[in-house]
Amino acid sequence: MQPISSPAELAELRSGIIAARDPNHIWVQLCAGTGCLACGCEPVAAAFRQHIHDQGLEGVVHLKLTGCHGFCERGPLVVIQPQGVFYQRITPEDVGAIVEQTVKHGRVVTKLLYRDPASKTRVEKAEEIPFYKKQVRLVLRSNGLLDPTSLDDYIALGGYAALAKALTMTPEGIVDEVKRSKLRGRGGGGFPTGLKWETCRRAKGEPKYVICNADEGDPGAFMDRSVLEGNPHSVIEGMIIGAYAIGSHEGYVYVRHEYPLAVKHLSIALGQAREAGLLGSDILGSGFGFDIGVSRGGGAFVCGESTALMASLEGKVGEPRAKYVHTVEHGLWDKPSNLNNVETWANIPLIVEHGADWFASIGTEGSKGTKVFALTGKISNTGLVEVPMGITLREILHDIGGGVPGRKKFKAVQTGGPSGGTLIVETRDARIVHSLEEAGEIAPGETVTSLLDLPVDFDELTKAGSMMGSGGMIVMDQDSCMVDVARYFIHFLIEESCGKCLPCREGLRKLHEILERITKGQGEPEDIATLQEIADTLIDTSLCQLGGSAPNPVLSTLRYFRDEYDAHIREKRCPAGVCKDLVGYAVTEACVGDAKCAKVCPTGAISGGPRSLQVIDQAKCIQCDACYQVCTFDAIARVKRDRAEEVQAAAKAAWRPVKERGRAEARA
Amino acid sequence: MPKVDITVDGRPISVEEGSYVLQAAEALGIDIPTLCFFKYVKPYAACRICVVEARDRRGRTRIVTACNYPASEGIEILTRTPRVVAARRLNLEMLMSRCASMPVLNDLAAKLGIEKPRWGTGTDTCILCGLCVRVCDEIVGAQAIGFASRGAARYVTTPFEVDSEACILCGACAALCPTGHIRMEEAGGREVVHSEITLGPNAAIAVPFRQAVPNAPRIDPEFCVHFRTGGCKVCAAVCPKECISHDDADRTEEFGVGTVVLATGYADLDPAPLKQYGYGRLPNVITSMEFERMNNAAGSTGGRILTERGEEPRTIAILHCIGSRDEDHHPYCSRVCCMYALKFAHLVKEKTSAEVYQLYIDMRAFGKGYEEFFHRILGEGVNVIRGKAAEVVRAGEDCEEGTLLVRCEDTLISKFREIPVDMVVLCTALEAHGDAKEVARRFGISVGADGWFIERHPKLGPVSTTTDGVFLAGGCQSPKDIPDAVAQGSGAAAQAMSLMTRGEVEMDGAYAVIDEEICSGCRLCNDLCPYGAIGFVAERKVSSVNPALCKACGTCAAGCPSGAIRALHFADEQIFAEIEGILS
Repeated sequence: MQPISSPAELAELRSGIIAARDPNHIWVQLCAGTGCLACGCEPVAAAFRQHIHDQGLEGVVHLKLTGCHGFCERGPLVVIQPQGVFYQRITPEDVGAIVEQTVKHGRVVTKLLYRDPASKTRVEKAEEIPFYKKQVRLVLRSNGLLDPTSLDDYIALGGYAALAKALTMTPEGIVDEVKRSKLRGRGGGGFPTGLKWETCRRAKGEPKYVICNADEGDPGAFMDRSVLEGNPHSVIEGMIIGAYAIGSHEGYVYVRHEYPLAVKHLSIALGQAREAGLLGSDILGSGFGFDIGVSRGGGAFVCGESTALMASLEGKVGEPRAKYVHTVEHGLWDKPSNLNNVETWANIPLIVEHGADWFASIGTEGSKGTKVFALTGKISNTGLVEVPMGITLREILHDIGGGVPGRKKFKAVQTGGPSGGTLIVETRDARIVHSLEEAGEIAPGETVTSLLDLPVDFDELTKAGSMMGSGGMIVMDQDSCMVDVARYFIHFLIEESCGKCLPCREGLRKLHEILERITKGQGEPEDIATLQEIADTLIDTSLCQLGGSAPNPVLSTLRYFRDEYDAHIREKRCPAGVCKDLVGYAVTEACVGDAKCAKVCPTGAISGGPRSLQVIDQAKCIQCDACYQVCTFDAIARVKRDRAEEVQAAAKAAWRPVKERGRAEARA
Repeated sequence: MPKVDITVDGRPISVEEGSYVLQAAEALGIDIPTLCFFKYVKPYAACRICVVEARDRRGRTRIVTACNYPASEGIEILTRTPRVVAARRLNLEMLMSRCASMPVLNDLAAKLGIEKPRWGTGTDTCILCGLCVRVCDEIVGAQAIGFASRGAARYVTTPFEVDSEACILCGACAALCPTGHIRMEEAGGREVVHSEITLGPNAAIAVPFRQAVPNAPRIDPEFCVHFRTGGCKVCAAVCPKECISHDDADRTEEFGVGTVVLATGYADLDPAPLKQYGYGRLPNVITSMEFERMNNAAGSTGGRILTERGEEPRTIAILHCIGSRDEDHHPYCSRVCCMYALKFAHLVKEKTSAEVYQLYIDMRAFGKGYEEFFHRILGEGVNVIRGKAAEVVRAGEDCEEGTLLVRCEDTLISKFREIPVDMVVLCTALEAHGDAKEVARRFGISVGADGWFIERHPKLGPVSTTTDGVFLAGGCQSPKDIPDAVAQGSGAAAQAMSLMTRGEVEMDGAYAVIDEEICSGCRLCNDLCPYGAIGFVAERKVSSVNPALCKACGTCAAGCPSGAIRALHFADEQIFAEIEGILS
């Protein structure tokens, strides 16, 4: 490819690509994002190739493996263009029907369409699906449309137009534009991006570096991964614009080694950009030079912290240092360095192309634009969602997420990664209201039932005791024990703390010790005060924000789920029935005697025989939860350990065989 | 750096902008405790014990670490607020729950008012302050140790947990470790340089030994970190007078002098070849110099007289004339042994309750007060046996292990004796240095058959030599004791002074001259001249006589193959004229 030497040539190239594409051709856009790969999209792709070949449609029908479409729950996904028919959960066996019906004759295969559980109707187009309807997809706009390994695709969709525009602006003009857009860093801190750029631009020292933080380490989060895998050029374009604005000629992407596909697509994209003259010494004939290197991280969570990331980039151990001297002044190799997250960089071309005013029109006063969330946990529509700032939790969880699957109740949502907070979302009993009153969170008499209507933006989440973080959103239902959740996240952080500073290293260990004791039923009333005290010291004295925000899981659960702590400590009871040392399993009178539970029990603790009441031998029970999971009649109860025998005895007294039950009910 | 005004606990101070708060507090005498700070490495801010409250000019207060918080205009630092104290206490208590009970933590706990840490103590002896890792990296530059693992599992180790060649065994990590968690050990055949048990200096910079002259520290480049890595220089940073330079090197300097005092001293005879005494073969057979060192308060035993096993000996034999007055070694008397042997006996009696045997040929107590001293020693109960020791052997099985037997003939009672002792001191002969002849040749002076320099005249010129301006002092001339050596030294110095104050040398009219036209430059005369008066002039390729040194002996004139040398006033014509005059 000839390097593109001017914006005019770029525009020419774009119209050439578009003109060369026959509007009558059919495009099969198969999602090849990580979720769909896991769901088996590769055999589907092979089946498409085979069918296209067998039917002699080559040259007319094109298969395109795209980035993540977001709706991972229903993968593998495919969209047939130009009709825009959206098929979900397809298997290689379905491919024949799709090619035969939709591709050749334009007919829709109804059984492969998404069925809206609310209206119970089949939906033909993606944008009509509730999951997509409420989303505002800006960063993810092209993910499902383009082949991440094709520069042509990106350019055809208007790619690098923002760069061309930026190069006609002054660097100060771009910084000003980004400042006016009020874009805030998407990596978690929410620092105003424009301000950071300005400080870095003014900082003394040469060379200056721009860095992209793609060390996404939160469990359950895959926003950055999907952007890098599905649309790497958008990140590259953002970085080039940023470098031009800041006055940098050297950039790095620090990406997790555990993201091989992201590394691959990014490297391909960098190669293409260099070849096309979009990276290198004279970008689009402007005289501005910039190039990007890729550094793969070794998988340490703490390396997502800016100073630790830079230490790791330098080849040192990834440990943070105090930030009294900012990295924009003394960062990588002690030079001014501007670090932004993948999503932040991907927002830049949009702002430059459409203007700051357009961007600032989306979102709330303090938080502009959209945010990508990875919606996971006990939610019907697991996937990647992009929503405008200020949307309520209810809209995300119910409308987009589709609520909790099954008959279970919503309990909490955890945002901001391991060091974020767990927020109450469903009505709680009077005791929690009382504890909120005591803590001064609400006025006496005020009824607090839910945070479901909390607008999701940087400030509101922080106020509520959590944080935006990079965008993980884990939904929990009634089966989650909040003490156990706090213990789990603290355990994660112990493993991931670098161990440099004392409070984080020892404080987390101490917190974990106490939480573990509580979940084992050995908690003491004064533990709550101790947890609070350690948490305060961690926040006050930790070296970096990993330690500073680490107590959030404890503090937020203490704030919203104090009653669960009390139940564990005072009553030695786990209300959710999760803490193995406290919970016992008992068969209730709802048992129909299908003996499914007896089959799955690994220790043979369940006996009773077919069509009769099953009984759990408490001496053999290891609280593995297998019976609870398998019972379709909710006949297994998680109860306080010492009450299990009692519950079973009561069940024995009240139990009737199913046949008799029917008669008795009929008589009643 | 511009100055900024800050306050620490309300007390104002002006400091350099960007300097650390801890330094400002130190300057004000305000104590901020810390576990991971060391002046000469970069602040690390890991222990979080040095936390203080900082209020900026906008009134925002936050907790910061004093060790690395940069001073900026107008900040107020509070070092003892309840928030600060509570955080310090809790952090320390958490650390203590991990670590064993150790002074560094207990002292700090006492300082912070913790009577009993609420979670008790653990077992770890490392507090993870990172001083060792940082000193090895930043100062030593060896990077031989580092942290392994993460979080609570973090620990200090060598790369890949193996004994690393990267370690230069400097011991800086162990020296800096506040808990003694790091020890130096000999492994893989490599000798630990700075082990505390070595007798020598245990740092690369040290006064070589106590009472050394000059009594000043010196750097041993073999062990100094700077000379291995180019880094460190901590000693120079510490020295308030800037006395330390790492750029100095040994160098040879040449300068002209008018007089020379030779005081090259004597050597000790090595008694090992005298196999009968077992030196180097039997334990607790030592030389007089070694015994002297042992008695020195700055010596290896701190002045105590001990056997190799570290016990006080019960009997000591002091054998005189080892190699002196001995036809097989040195026929002369070493002159000082009798008296110092008596002094030894006196010291032993003073310091221990040991029995002392003196085995001598003749007791030569020749000086002032010496004979009296001998009598005093006899009065102290020292056993003096007239008879040279024949041999020293290991005692048989009927004696305690380690006992030695000294065999001799007690000539006064004409009996052979075997004396069981715990320690034998050999009064070895004083002898001339092995290179005395070479030194003598260079200075144009004479040397005797046994290597002692020869004075110009035994009675009339005891300090001067045959070469004018070269004088002798001390043991290089002959064995002598301290008063004699001092007296001779003073004499030599006075003679040198008298020459120097005159400022010029009066010459005889008679000396040799070389006719450069004839001289072939063969340099035969250079070696012939007994006074070292003839040198070779390289530029003109001829020999030349220094008339100030020439004694007009005529040897050169007689020996010159070209007949180029002529002794003034002793020309052939003059000699013949003299002969004719006598004969006529």
